[in-house]
Amino acid sequence: MSESTTRYSPLGPARAVKGFLQQLLSHGGAKVGLVCLVFFLGVAVMPNVLVGPLQTAVNATGDFLAPPSSQHLLGTDEVGRDVLNLVVHGARISLTIALLATLISLFVGTSIGMIAGYYGGSVDVWLMRLADFFFVMPSFVLALVITPVVLEVMGRGGDILGFRPSLFVILVVIGMTSWAFVARIVRSQTLSLKERTFIDRARVVGSSNFSIMVRHILPNLVPQIAANGALVVASAIYVETSLSFLGLGDPLQPSWGTLLSLAQRAGAASAGAWWYLGAPGVCVLSVSLSFVLIGNALDDTFNPRRRVIP
Amino acid sequence: MINTSKRSAALLEVDGLSVTYGLMGASSRAIENVSFALGAGEAVGLVGESGSGKTTTAMAIAGLLSPNARVSSGEVRYRGNVLPIDDDAAMRPHRWSETSVVFQGAMNALNPVHRIITQIAEPCMLKLGMPRGEASARARELLELVGIPADRGTAYPHELSGGMRQRVMIAMALACRPSIVIGDEPTTALDVITQAQILKLLGKLRSQLRLALILITHDLSVVAEACDRVLIMYSGRIVEEGTVAEIFAQPKHPYTRLLIDSIPNPANGKKMIRPIPGDPPNLMNRPSSGCAFHPRCPSVMAVCPTEVPSIDQFGQERVACHLYRSSQEDRGASHA
Amino acid sequence: MRDTTDILRLESLQVHFPIQGGLFDRALGRPAGAVRAVDGIDLNLTRGEIVALVGESGSGKTTVGRVIAKLAQPTGGKLLFEGRDITSERGSSALRPYRHRVQMIFQDAYQALNPRHTIFDIVGEPLRSLRLVDNATQLAERVGEALASAGLSPPGDFFSRFPNELSGGQRQRVVIAGALAVKPELIIADEPVSMLDVSIRAQILQVLVDLRSKHNMALLFITHDLPLAWSIADRIAVLYLGKLVEIGSADEITFNPRHPYTAALRNATPQIGGNANPAELRALQGEVPSAARVPKGCRFHPRCPLAFDRCRQDEPPSVEVGPQHMSACWLAQ
Repeated sequence: MSESTTRYSPLGPARAVKGFLQQLLSHGGAKVGLVCLVFFLGVAVMPNVLVGPLQTAVNATGDFLAPPSSQHLLGTDEVGRDVLNLVVHGARISLTIALLATLISLFVGTSIGMIAGYYGGSVDVWLMRLADFFFVMPSFVLALVITPVVLEVMGRGGDILGFRPSLFVILVVIGMTSWAFVARIVRSQTLSLKERTFIDRARVVGSSNFSIMVRHILPNLVPQIAANGALVVASAIYVETSLSFLGLGDPLQPSWGTLLSLAQRAGAASAGAWWYLGAPGVCVLSVSLSFVLIGNALDDTFNPRRRVIP
Repeated sequence: MINTSKRSAALLEVDGLSVTYGLMGASSRAIENVSFALGAGEAVGLVGESGSGKTTTAMAIAGLLSPNARVSSGEVRYRGNVLPIDDDAAMRPHRWSETSVVFQGAMNALNPVHRIITQIAEPCMLKLGMPRGEASARARELLELVGIPADRGTAYPHELSGGMRQRVMIAMALACRPSIVIGDEPTTALDVITQAQILKLLGKLRSQLRLALILITHDLSVVAEACDRVLIMYSGRIVEEGTVAEIFAQPKHPYTRLLIDSIPNPANGKKMIRPIPGDPPNLMNRPSSGCAFHPRCPSVMAVCPTEVPSIDQFGQERVACHLYRSSQEDRGASHA
Repeated sequence: MRDTTDILRLESLQVHFPIQGGLFDRALGRPAGAVRAVDGIDLNLTRGEIVALVGESGSGKTTVGRVIAKLAQPTGGKLLFEGRDITSERGSSALRPYRHRVQMIFQDAYQALNPRHTIFDIVGEPLRSLRLVDNATQLAERVGEALASAGLSPPGDFFSRFPNELSGGQRQRVVIAGALAVKPELIIADEPVSMLDVSIRAQILQVLVDLRSKHNMALLFITHDLPLAWSIADRIAVLYLGKLVEIGSADEITFNPRHPYTAALRNATPQIGGNANPAELRALQGEVPSAARVPKGCRFHPRCPLAFDRCRQDEPPSVEVGPQHMSACWLAQ
């Protein structure tokens, strides 16, 4: 039988990626978000090159609570440290914690959501009740409970995977409280995916449950995971900031939240030291905003109502 | 071109209609030079595969083209008056009261939270300005007309079967007393027996209301049962037109012939079905020149890839194929 | 191997789906019913035979196919493959030998192909998961072979393409190639051509018929289209509301139906050169009742033009009305 091969605009993977990027960047918000994000990531990657080593009370260079000047572009804090130096080093801590916490939450959330959705029945019921439990648990309460335990086990001085114990606690707490959100989304998406005929076909051709989940369901979840992952990062930055602000941070590895907390305690607000509060505050705001913008743009780009998932 | 003087009695005339779609910057012709006429109470089947332009033709007639479509040439006349088919606002008074449409899978077009009688009465109130009571009476009348007991009007769409819902859609299409109903694959989603019931209903409505019917379908056998005339479309053009009896007894165009051959038919004991090689072209990959069917045609000649065949009249029939044109010329030559 | 042995046998196969009662029903202790999708079916397929399972939507024909493909679990009866009871076998590793020999083709080829996998991955998937190849060369060889026998040539052209780059007919060929790759002995084809353009249908049917003649493959062809069933099948089984009402050779069922439902189905099917007058279209009254409320007695009696008292009381057994021709109707007794 001779059949003329009909070619429907062959889209190689490379061209598909290019098309995807074009579509993503057609959102004004995504452009702003990406530029902002690249800037902060650049800053976080090489703080020492940009502003030298992290200043402490010992090697502080300036006056106490001096306003911005040519020497200290963002002023100084109550012990004379350069705020720009602190904020740049804080970027590294804040972003690392937020991204790692998001990874934990995506991994746990995706696995549990996918297993619950795929197997259904009592597996689904129990896993989702577990997710509900973590969903409603306030992160601060969890942090209060875990901190003493970790400190008891690890000791105050040591570090875990390069993190000071209290930062490790923050990391774990954010991961533990945000996976439930991911799990809910992944589960509902899995429920609709598993009704698709290609899952039936995969079973007929002998694929195991594990391989169906990994090879068939997971790749089709990527858009949802990516879009929501960006939103999870945004919220992780907020939670990290508030936990640090409430005093769970570590002064030796100051994140933006820790800086806000220190500023608060030094009476920066009443002393009129707006630069001390403002610098980390603006950083937190702009980074989480850019993740939200990117997340929304991803969601729009992947939205099946606007575009059939290729 | 259509002979207007001869068919002056026609209810609807489509004359040299071409519709272009704008697609990603480029534009492509969905239908080209489509002409036909429809008499009052007549049933015409518009047959073609996906991408043949049959739905575009029907939507153009009903003035329901999508925003990226443009009528590039030709016109549609209703009782001799040109319809403003590419002007949504100007088309509004004509739609539903002259031409109405029953869509494919229209069963899902019903609003799930309203009773069906309300949904049928709505166009009567909005279009004909009937008061509520009168519209409701009209809706009951319409339900009875399509074979649903009027008492069932209080049901919600989900309480009805697919066939019943399609009847409701037909009742809605009849609400403003149109003289033409376009059925866009109205029975494709239905079971065989339900399909037969709906076809029977359409036949009854035709004779009862002197309704003209344009039946769009991919299924030749449905047309054979329900229509007087057939238009076969391929790749945006009409390739053959004739009465049901003529076309099915003696198809002229090779495409029509192959199409009929590819349907198993116990009525004449034809079990072996003959495949047509290749794929039907879609909007984006139509042959750039010549007859669109030539890559798949078993009787392809030297002229086919280069020259688009014109559609020529043969008695009651029209065919667009070089096979017949050359024979006519030969005949003309031998007579001379 | 004997040629006329049963490859597959269904013995009073039954699939009931429980209905979750509403809150009130449960509070009042009302029994929740069941949808009797498949309600006791006996059917056999011999090697190299093509049997068409014909029915309307709601007849349970798709469920029967899913049970045989081990995608649905029966609630009663037996599924025997070469005499071996595999009704309760479950799990991908336990079913591996069965999957190797029974494959399925789906109605909507676009839905049946994972949009993110290449054609090579899709056709190679059964070979990998059923452990039928040892190395990459062998895999590529078998995938190419399968694509070619499904009519996609040259196969190499398709390896790295994605389903959305193919036409509808080509996609269905890919699904067929995936089933062929393991060289099965039985293929279940669930409405394989109903979504395709008319001119493509015959091509796909040709591929399926060729499989039988070349590899003596048995085929269970599920369809709603009686003429189509007649053109491809050796035998036709007609299903109504979860029960077989008639089974016999394709010609017998088409030209000499002995059950009023089969006759109604035939008369309702539009035909070229069949009924000349559209008003003559004989349509059965009413619609298929819900499988949750199966009528008492013969389940066809509320719509049957020939029903009499006995039909309303007792369910007719299936009796032989001719050679290899069974009908479940009191009139046929």
